[in-house]
Amino acid sequence: MNSPFTSMLQTLSRQRGVTAALVVSERDGIVIDSNLHIGQKGDRVAALAASLYRKARLSAQAAGMGAVSFMQLEAPNGRLCAVGAGELVLVVVGSPVVNVGLVRVELLRSVVELAAIAEGRPA
Amino acid sequence: MMITSVVESWIEEPVRRFVDETGVELALLLHPSGQVLAQHGFARAVDVMTACALAAGIHATSGELGRLVDDKPFRGLHHAGMTRQIFLAEARSPRGAYIFLTVFGQESSIGLVRLYFDELVAGLAVAAPPEGPAPAPALAEHFERDLNRNLAVLFGRA
Repeated sequence: MNSPFTSMLQTLSRQRGVTAALVVSERDGIVIDSNLHIGQKGDRVAALAASLYRKARLSAQAAGMGAVSFMQLEAPNGRLCAVGAGELVLVVVGSPVVNVGLVRVELLRSVVELAAIAEGRPA
Repeated sequence: MMITSVVESWIEEPVRRFVDETGVELALLLHPSGQVLAQHGFARAVDVMTACALAAGIHATSGELGRLVDDKPFRGLHHAGMTRQIFLAEARSPRGAYIFLTVFGQESSIGLVRLYFDELVAGLAVAAPPEGPAPAPALAEHFERDLNRNLAVLFGRA
C-alpha cells in the first residue's frame, strides 16, 4: 500500500549504501513509513533517531543557532542522516560506503515535500 | 536526583537501566494484586499506594476488555495527555507476570519507552533468581501488611 511518503523513501533507498529510510514522528519516536533492508530494526532506529534529532534541534535552539537543517552521525560501521519538518523526521541509515553528499541533497529535496505533507498542503 | 528503590534486589538493575535510558519521570513495577515491587520518582508512599491500586485496576479491566473483544487480554496501554503520557504493560518474568507503569513527559517518547520496556522484560528474565519460592497468592488478610512492608522498604523505613 502506498503512502504519501512511498516515493521519497524509494528514491532515498536507491542511493548506494543506504540500508534504511524512515519517516518517523519526532514526538512519539514511532515509524510512520519505512523502506528497510533485511536485518534493519526499524522500530529501534526510529525511536533512537527521533530522540537524537529532537535533542539536536533543542540544543541548536538553546545555543541560538536556529533550526536544524541537516543532522549527520558518523559511526565506525555506518552513517545516520536526518532532516525534519514539523512533527516529522526523515531518517536515512547507510553503510560506510554511502555517499553522504548525495544523500544530503536528496534529503534536503525531500524535506520540502515532507513539510508540505506535515502541514497538510499539496506536495 | 530521583531515587529508584526496589523490594527485591534482582529487580533493581533492569529498572534503573530503563529509567536511565528513557528519562521517564515515574516508574512502578507491581504484582497484579497491587503489591509494589519497585518505584522511581515517587516522593510519598501514599502516592505509590494509589498508583499501584489504579494500575492493578486498569490492568485487570483492560485484560477483561481484551478477552471480551479479542479473546485474549490486552497487554499494553498508552495514554497521551497534553504534557505527560502513561504507558502500562504486563512484564512477564520467570517469577511470574508483573505490571509495569511509567509516566513520561516531553523528554522521552512512547517509541523509546516501548523499546526499553522490551529490554526491561529481557533484563528481568536474566536477573530473576533461578530458584526460590513462587510468589505467594495475595490474600486479603495479608494484603495490607505486605503492602506496608514493601512501602517501608521502598521509602527506607524498614
